[in-house]
Amino acid sequence: MIRFENVSKRYANGHYGVIDINLEIRRGEFLFLVGPSGAGKSSLIRLLYREDVPTHGEIYLDEFRLSQLRKRQVPRLRRQLGVVFQDGKLLSNRTVYQNVAFAMEVVGASSHDIHKRVPQVLELVGLSKRRNNYPHQLSGGEQQRVGIARALVNNPVYIIADEPTGNLDPETSFGIIKLLNEINRRGATIIMATHAKDIVNQMHKRVVAVENGRIVRDEARGVYGYEP
Amino acid sequence: MSLSSICYIIKETGRNLVYNTWMTLASVSTVAISMFVLSFFLVLTVNMNHVTRVLQSQVEMRVFINPHVPRTQEMTLLQESRHWPGVKKVQFFTKQEAADALKKEFPNQKDLLTLISKSNPLFDGYNVYTKNPNQIPALASRFRKQHIVHNVIYEGQVVSRLSRLSVVLKWAGWGIEGLLGLATLFIIVNTIRLAVFARRREVSVMKLVGATDWFIRWPFVLEGLTLGLAGAIVADLVVGQGYHWLLVEASSALPFWPMATLHQVMQKTVDFTLGGGLLVGGLASMVALRRFLRV
Repeated sequence: MIRFENVSKRYANGHYGVIDINLEIRRGEFLFLVGPSGAGKSSLIRLLYREDVPTHGEIYLDEFRLSQLRKRQVPRLRRQLGVVFQDGKLLSNRTVYQNVAFAMEVVGASSHDIHKRVPQVLELVGLSKRRNNYPHQLSGGEQQRVGIARALVNNPVYIIADEPTGNLDPETSFGIIKLLNEINRRGATIIMATHAKDIVNQMHKRVVAVENGRIVRDEARGVYGYEP
Repeated sequence: MSLSSICYIIKETGRNLVYNTWMTLASVSTVAISMFVLSFFLVLTVNMNHVTRVLQSQVEMRVFINPHVPRTQEMTLLQESRHWPGVKKVQFFTKQEAADALKKEFPNQKDLLTLISKSNPLFDGYNVYTKNPNQIPALASRFRKQHIVHNVIYEGQVVSRLSRLSVVLKWAGWGIEGLLGLATLFIIVNTIRLAVFARRREVSVMKLVGATDWFIRWPFVLEGLTLGLAGAIVADLVVGQGYHWLLVEASSALPFWPMATLHQVMQKTVDFTLGGGLLVGGLASMVALRRFLRV
């Protein structure tokens, strides 16, 4: 479970990323984070994977208290999370397979486990045939699937996605969402920041809307609620 | 750390080294040059110590006895002086033995030979060996105070000058080595900085998926150590070949000059260069990671 208690983040330039956030996310949920650009969605997500530390309040993530976390404990937290970005953050000099395997190599997985797990994940995201291609040989949607496969490969409890469909056409976006939904059905908690109105409206999932750093709406089966 | 992690780290180190071929070469060369200069001073020092030892093992002091002193008195002083502190060995020689030695040493000096054959003007005396060359002056004056002693000759100055020179050499060597070490450090720091820069995307992904700080750092540390070690090995090969050549040349050009053996020289050189290479490489990676890798 994730719990934000009165969380504020003030950056060094005096600007507030989020203000007084109270939020609870249970395991197995699928949650959309919506709101205008610059509203604080990304700030909230950066706090979650401990790229930033709150200036006020506390974030609980399972057994972790994020503001108390020492630097050398951060890797342990990150292994509970899979993070997906808009730009994928793929390594251009490695193949699809190597990109996904990389995430396992660097947390010390055995090569036996890597050989077993990576094909499974590539199968799940539908890229088995593309395993030996390099990122620049893939479409945007395929690249995003590699990013998801990499986030997924270490079996994280939470998948955090920051506008994963930001660069994709609606049809491809739906494919990505279906994939995330499937992953959610298999037990992972999904937290996804997005601008994709159609998707949010169609999925009938929990929607948390952020404006000016504050939560303005939290609905169990919500809609996007903003005109594009 | 698991075997596959170690394999991964070694693989990544190799990747870094190959990726920046020119910087790798530049680093190895500077380490090699720096270690070569270090070896040069080491070779010099080892040889000076060798010469000093050879000189010390030769006769250090000659004590001459007044003419016409009875043999019994000469023997008494001989026995006594053997127990003086600092004395290693005392050998008695008669003036006849001294003359024979001279004849052997200068077989072509006819005048000299006739002179000492006619009436031997030499003295009886002792060859004195000391435990430590510093004690020579004190022992010499102690011998001089004995009434049967005519005079004392020693060449201790050569030894003490040699050891003073080797001290100067040592400090000069360390001074130059310090400067070269800094230059080497600077080059390796920059090599690793480039490797960190080239791999910034990998590093950010590694952090994201929860690689530990040391897992991220190890390839760079290993890179520094490899650069230092490789440079040291190059220097050792050059020094080994060079000194071998020098020994061959010296054996014909300076047949009586006591040179330290290749083994003596390389033993010290290898210890110092490998140690120095690893030290500068390791230090450089630490500096580079502290400054350029935010983990």
